[in-house]
Amino acid sequence: MLLFRSEEHVERWNERRGTPAGAAFTPEQGWRLASAWFHDRLSPEWRRRSPEEAKAVFDAIGLSGAFWDLDPAGEVSSTGTLDTSDP
Amino acid sequence: MVASGDVDAFDREVRLAVYRTVVAESRPPSAPELAAELGVATEDVETSLHRLAAGHVLVLAPGTNSIWMAAPFSAIPTPFEVSVGDRHYFANCIWDALGVAACLHAEARIDTSCPDCSEPMRLEVRDGALQEPAEGVIHFAVPAARWWEDIGAT
Repeated sequence: MLLFRSEEHVERWNERRGTPAGAAFTPEQGWRLASAWFHDRLSPEWRRRSPEEAKAVFDAIGLSGAFWDLDPAGEVSSTGTLDTSDP
Repeated sequence: MVASGDVDAFDREVRLAVYRTVVAESRPPSAPELAAELGVATEDVETSLHRLAAGHVLVLAPGTNSIWMAAPFSAIPTPFEVSVGDRHYFANCIWDALGVAACLHAEARIDTSCPDCSEPMRLEVRDGALQEPAEGVIHFAVPAARWWEDIGAT
């Protein structure tokens, strides 16, 4: 997850690397995502979110679609559970 | 040896001790340091660290007992430096850099640069809000379902 000067810079970077476009959004959305995701990280009560809870966080910030789908094809992590931990 | 019924509570204590050191010293503690702080055997801490890593609560440097990431913090320098007062942290990505401000509930300055043109970029958080103008575009290259296939690259 990187911060670029503009979408034009994102496109140029992807072209140069031969990588497909990912998801782009504003720093304000990024702050809302970070706030929702990390605000309780230092709390003794913190625990990993369920897939439903993670989806609710993404939805609340307007991040929806296949890119944000934690289980697009019934994928599970190597530990055998849906992976909703942070990147 | 930690009794099996106490594993979750022990892992929580280890996790909290990791974050205490990271926040106070901008670096993660070693397993022996954690063991000394918690008054337990180093091997119990190492086992706990590996359980936490398996649960994606922490990331260990490959093949070691050393903490690489305690999200949103990075143990190694990255292009995402977060200044909180006179303390400086490194974050794993721009989401995590904002996450440092969010988890500390503190005013913070994030310094990074555009990966395309290397132009320095700065975001600031004050009074619980991102300060305007917050210029730029955040780009996630890897879909959410694949974040942990290669967490270092993600």
